[in-house]
Formats: sequence, structure tokens, C-alpha cells
Amino acid sequence: MEFNGMWKRDAHLTDEELVLLSDSEMSHSQAGKARAHLAVCWTCRTRMAEMDGAIADFVRLYHAGSERNSNSAAGARALLKARLAELREFSPQRIWPFSQKAMVTRYVAASVCAIAVLAAFALWPSNPALTSGRQTAVVALPVVPDPNLTPGAARTMNRSDVCAASHVDSAHEIPGSVQRKVFAEYGLGKVRTTDYEVDYLITPELGGAADIRNLWPEPHSSVIWNSYVKDALEDRLHHLVCDGAVDLPTAQRDIATDWIAAYKKYFHTDTPVSAHSKLAGYEAPFSGD
Amino acid sequence: MPILASDRILAFPARSVAAAPSLAPSPLEDEVVKFFDQCRAPLLRYTCAIGLSAQDAEEIVQEVFIALFRHLQLDRSRSNLHAWIFRVAHNLALKQLQSNRRLPETLDSYADLVNSHPDGRLNPEERIASGQRQQRLRAILQALPKQDQCCLYLRAEGLRYREISRVLGISLGAVSNSIARSLMRLKTVDGV
Repeated sequence: MEFNGMWKRDAHLTDEELVLLSDSEMSHSQAGKARAHLAVCWTCRTRMAEMDGAIADFVRLYHAGSERNSNSAAGARALLKARLAELREFSPQRIWPFSQKAMVTRYVAASVCAIAVLAAFALWPSNPALTSGRQTAVVALPVVPDPNLTPGAARTMNRSDVCAASHVDSAHEIPGSVQRKVFAEYGLGKVRTTDYEVDYLITPELGGAADIRNLWPEPHSSVIWNSYVKDALEDRLHHLVCDGAVDLPTAQRDIATDWIAAYKKYFHTDTPVSAHSKLAGYEAPFSGD
Repeated sequence: MPILASDRILAFPARSVAAAPSLAPSPLEDEVVKFFDQCRAPLLRYTCAIGLSAQDAEEIVQEVFIALFRHLQLDRSRSNLHAWIFRVAHNLALKQLQSNRRLPETLDSYADLVNSHPDGRLNPEERIASGQRQQRLRAILQALPKQDQCCLYLRAEGLRYREISRVLGISLGAVSNSIARSLMRLKTVDGV
């Protein structure tokens, strides 16, 4: 870095030179010369002191808000650990020694853990019941629906019904009263419902019914098997059914039985295609290393 | 097989799910969590300072460490992970700000907090004077170019000039010039 003005007795240090010296960013020899100048120059010493004062003012302002984050540190840490546990199953080098059923069980385990922590995390900083030491139940939700609560339900329709443009274009909004009933059934009275989408297990595009047995609160936050991935599966199945490649009862049964297994089956992959998953945005932009 | 329920609705039978196994974290997970413990607070401060809400900042920080896990999982470079983490946070925060479709509200949330916690050692007149000075300081800071603000925030988090230049993708000279220029502006808070 250029470092001018050190050679003449009367030449003061520039603002940049003062900053470089203050931050120990000068070379050893340049810093020696700068310090020698400062030792004899009241003007530059005063400017240096003013600059240090500006740094102190800025740092006080900058750090003023940091204490507010300390309360939720434990919750954030637990959430990260749960999400890492979910990612563990997707090591790029890993050869799977498990059966598909065992893998799904592990996804469910990791996801249950992740959602439980997410629910706890959402409550942690603001819930006075927690801060006062009272017991509050933590709600656990999987990325797959509870098969006892949501086994799936479909209307009696045929292929031409579900492939008709009027059917595909029709809205499938779930009434608020039904959504509240679904949340209540899953014990979600105390978490932020915006973190979930009440979704059809069998999508209406495949004849899924607006029946509580076909509705479940699907979390947005799952790293791998999230609602975006399921949406992609639904689109795929609808196309396959309408193209005649898969019959409608098979599509309905597959998505209702295990939508993750169905995704793997119809996309021929053990992991979500990156364009379908939120993971697509995680690529690190630090290519210089 | 679907079974006939009622009102022409076919309900699928309920199924049972196996119990969830317990899984121990891997050494890599432990390493990432350790980084998280060290860097979460600085990252939250930085991302809030450049305009994210506390909730968005918390989510971005989570994404940063998920990205770090994937980075290490793929055996990518471990050179200066501290700067790498800040760079990922910086880029994700900018994306989030763009998606929020609003301009950064630099340090506004901090302003609220500072104003709500006046220094108890000061008398009422001194508190007013101190508050006014903080307002002037904040106004100067917000008037700085965004890049200059980022340089200051990153320096306040302890990053060296070379690291800041890599996080922001600017030259080393631009960093020192930016910091010097910003400090000279902040120095004028008392009308000097």
C-alpha cells in the first residue's frame, strides 16, 4: 500500500495512513516511520485521538443492540443441530446401507426432531411461560402426516375429471375453520401457524378431497422434504396421470401412503432435485478459496 | 387399497409408523455447531446492521451454517472460514433484502433499543444531550454509502482489511480508503 509523506518533517500523515496505523495494517517499516512522526507531531496525534473517538462512538452504537439476541441463543443452537441431523442423511459421498423403509424412518426421526426444536425456538424468546419456569409442551410435527390423523381421502373421480382444465384451474382454498380444526387435531394451538401450510395429502389435482382426513399442517421449514418438494411431486403425478403413464388410483395411493417414497419413485432419485428444494439457494458464493 | 367412506369420498386406511431411532451427531456437525457458537452473535449484529429484521437475520444465520456444513461435507477449502462465513452471510442478507423489496433500515432497530435503554448514570439533561448525539451519529452513518457502512461493520466485527476486501469483493485499497473516509465523517458528530 502507498505510504507517502513520511520523509519530510513537516508532512503530516494522511487520514488513510492514520487509519492503517491504528488498525495495524501497515508494514513494520512504514509503521515505524509513522510512529516516529506521531511522536513529534501534535497535530497528527490530535487527529489520531479524534479518529479513535469516532471509532469508540461507532462501536458503542453498533454493539448497542447485541444483548437482545442472547436469550434465544440456546433455541437457535438446538434448531441448527436438528437441521444438521436432517442433512446428515444426505452426505454426498455416502453409500446407503439401509433399506428404503429404514431411510424413511430416519427422515421421519430427524424431521420430528427438527420440527420439535423449531416449535420450541418459536416460543422461546417471547413466551413468558417459558421464562418464568412453567412447563409448556413442545409440539412435534413430522414432514410426513400422521397416518392415523391423515390417511388420505379422495373424491370419486376418473382421469378425465382430474385432467379437465376447469378442474385444474379451480381454486382449492381450505376454509379457515377447517384449517383451525387441522391445527387443533395436530396440537398446534401454540405455534406460529404461518410456519405451516395446511395442505392436501392427495392434492385436489389428483382428486384429493377437502376432508380433514386428507389435510395436514405441512412445515415450510424442513430443509430437505419441504412443501416445495411435495408441490413438485404433485405436478409430476398430475402430468403422468393425464399422459396416461400412471393410473389415477395408483397415483393417489402412492402419494397418500408415503409422499417421500413416491417422490423418489417418480423422480428416480433419493434426494430432492435441487430446483425443487430450498437447498438450491445454499450454494456458497466464496469461490476464491 | 382405498376404502369407501362417505359422501363419495374414498378414505385411505390409517397406517403405523416405526419408532424414531436416536442419532448421535457427527464430528462435522459438532464442528459446525462450535463455529455457530462463536459467530452467531457477530453475524446477527452484522446482518441486522445492514438492514435485516431480527427474525430474518436469525434465519439467515441458520442458512449460513447449513451452507458451512455442506461446504465442509464436500471437503472444500478450510482457508479462513471466518471470512467465508461473513461473505455467505453478506450475500444471503443482500438476497433477502432484495426479496423483501424494501430499502435497508440501517441501524433503525438498534436505534429503538438504544433509546429504550438510556444510560442510568446520566441526569435528565445529559440523557437528552446523549440521545441527540446518538441521533446525529446515526444520521451520519446512514448517510454513508452502503459499502462504506459494510466496511465499518465488518471491521467492528474484527475482520482484517484483507478479509473485508474478500467479503465485499473490493480491493484492499478501497477498504482502507472507505474506513478512513467514514471515520472522518463520523468525527464530525460534534461539529469538529
